[in-house]
Amino acid sequence: MIDLRTKAGGIELDTPLILASGILDENGYTMRRILEAGAAAVVTKSIGVDERNGYTSPVVFEGENYIINAMGLPNPGIEEYGGEIKIAEEAGKPVIGSIFAADAPTFLKLAGEMVDYGVSAIELNLSCPHVKGFGTEVGSDPTLVKDIVETLKASIDIPIWSKLSPNVTDIVEIGSAASESDALVLINTVRAMAIDINARMPVLTNVYGGLSGNAIKPVGLRLVYEIKKELDCNIIGVGGIGNASDAIEYIMAGASAVQIGTALWRKGRGIFDEINQGISGFMKDSGIGSIGEMIGVAVQ
Amino acid sequence: MINRLKIIKKVRETPTVFSLYFHWDAEVLPGQFVMVWVPGYSEVPMTVASREGEKCITVKVYGKTTERLGNMGEGEFLYLRGPYGKPFSSSRGKKLLIGGGSGMASLRSLIDEDSTGIIASKTSDEILFEKDFKPGMAICVTEDGSRGMKGLAPDAINNLDLTQFDTIYVCGPEMMMKAIFDMLRGKELNVEFSFERSMKCGIGLCDSCSVDGFQVCRDGPTFHIKEVENMAEFGKTRLASSGKRIYMK
Repeated sequence: MIDLRTKAGGIELDTPLILASGILDENGYTMRRILEAGAAAVVTKSIGVDERNGYTSPVVFEGENYIINAMGLPNPGIEEYGGEIKIAEEAGKPVIGSIFAADAPTFLKLAGEMVDYGVSAIELNLSCPHVKGFGTEVGSDPTLVKDIVETLKASIDIPIWSKLSPNVTDIVEIGSAASESDALVLINTVRAMAIDINARMPVLTNVYGGLSGNAIKPVGLRLVYEIKKELDCNIIGVGGIGNASDAIEYIMAGASAVQIGTALWRKGRGIFDEINQGISGFMKDSGIGSIGEMIGVAVQ
Repeated sequence: MINRLKIIKKVRETPTVFSLYFHWDAEVLPGQFVMVWVPGYSEVPMTVASREGEKCITVKVYGKTTERLGNMGEGEFLYLRGPYGKPFSSSRGKKLLIGGGSGMASLRSLIDEDSTGIIASKTSDEILFEKDFKPGMAICVTEDGSRGMKGLAPDAINNLDLTQFDTIYVCGPEMMMKAIFDMLRGKELNVEFSFERSMKCGIGLCDSCSVDGFQVCRDGPTFHIKEVENMAEFGKTRLASSGKRIYMK
């Protein structure tokens, strides 16, 4: 039996595979089922202070090996979300609460409520690419990022993860600003769009969305590698992971764990078992005894 | 990929329900659906029925997007992606099709010589696809009694010997399906439901349509009664567009 345990972002995980925020994590029953299907932890949908319906559909565009989405941060508001976390926690595995806000005091209020709901860690959404005033607009300002991370670290007792955007000029500058985080989560989706040539208009109602899926893996991998090399901090890799080899690449680039999202589109909930088995097989064949032995080994 | 398909025929089924016919080479099995995009409006999930060698969607006008679809005519184009979802597991043998409201549209591809129908609606104006059944094989039920039996779909079931059917198919509003589920559970009958829940992505990612961790768009929309038996959310709660949990009445 190969040991797939890893410690990432201040929490112990049975395997390196976490459900990424934004995918199948609005409803507590869905998160519970995904944990039962083999995810070591789930990150919730990003939750804000107020209820939001998100954008009018079309909210997704399907490409060959990618998706572009502009959901628009739909969420019931923090006051209504505790029940979903409670249902998800019945699986007995870590639930990480994702939150979004525009300033440090609001992030702090949301994080406090998430702590009350019993989450194992907080993931700060500093990177949603398609909602004005939130996400990347906050996460591309190093001063604001530093203020948010330091404010939360000073008064929240559970681990704080910062999910960063690839849509910035200098990832190392933003990574440095967030370096007090227990983990940097790299990357969120890449700002993108699609046009229907027959309709002669953008497909997504919001025009701009976030690109995810296998097409963005090389971009995510580069950002994980660069941050590991320049800052040597704890990293959780995400972006286009669809099989065991993708996951191992991220780990070798410096990620202590990885998140899976868009791959559920083609492969469904079975993706977690499939990748876990693939990682085990690789470790067995290569004589590797633990995930830790692979983290960052490719960094030169 | 988004398909652009020319409307070749439009049929008015009731004062507020229209079928738009189009030619499409894709294989669409009974129970599957597509996401229909009306540029400049929005995108809505719709069942595709196969009739007389062509395919059609049946549109009930209830908002701006469906109103625009209802106003479309021959020669105009439909934009759609799919097909999506798990089809009904069987479409052979002696069938009972129970459709409430526009639910009969999801069952229309199954209608054949061996089918008995229970067509339920609020008023006689909303009775769908009665003529697709063999004469005498469709039982109409209306809430106001303006057509057929007065009452709800479950009232019409009481008069039937259900053991004669190889499969019973049910589609309609969730509370109607819940009432039928409560009548049929534990009776060793082969029953398949087609769920209708609000969808955004249609491809199993956004979690809007989920029931007990199953995505209606991907794991469904068809579910066998054995699967439905274990669902805590069915007929009880659903999520609003924001993700806020709503208790059904």
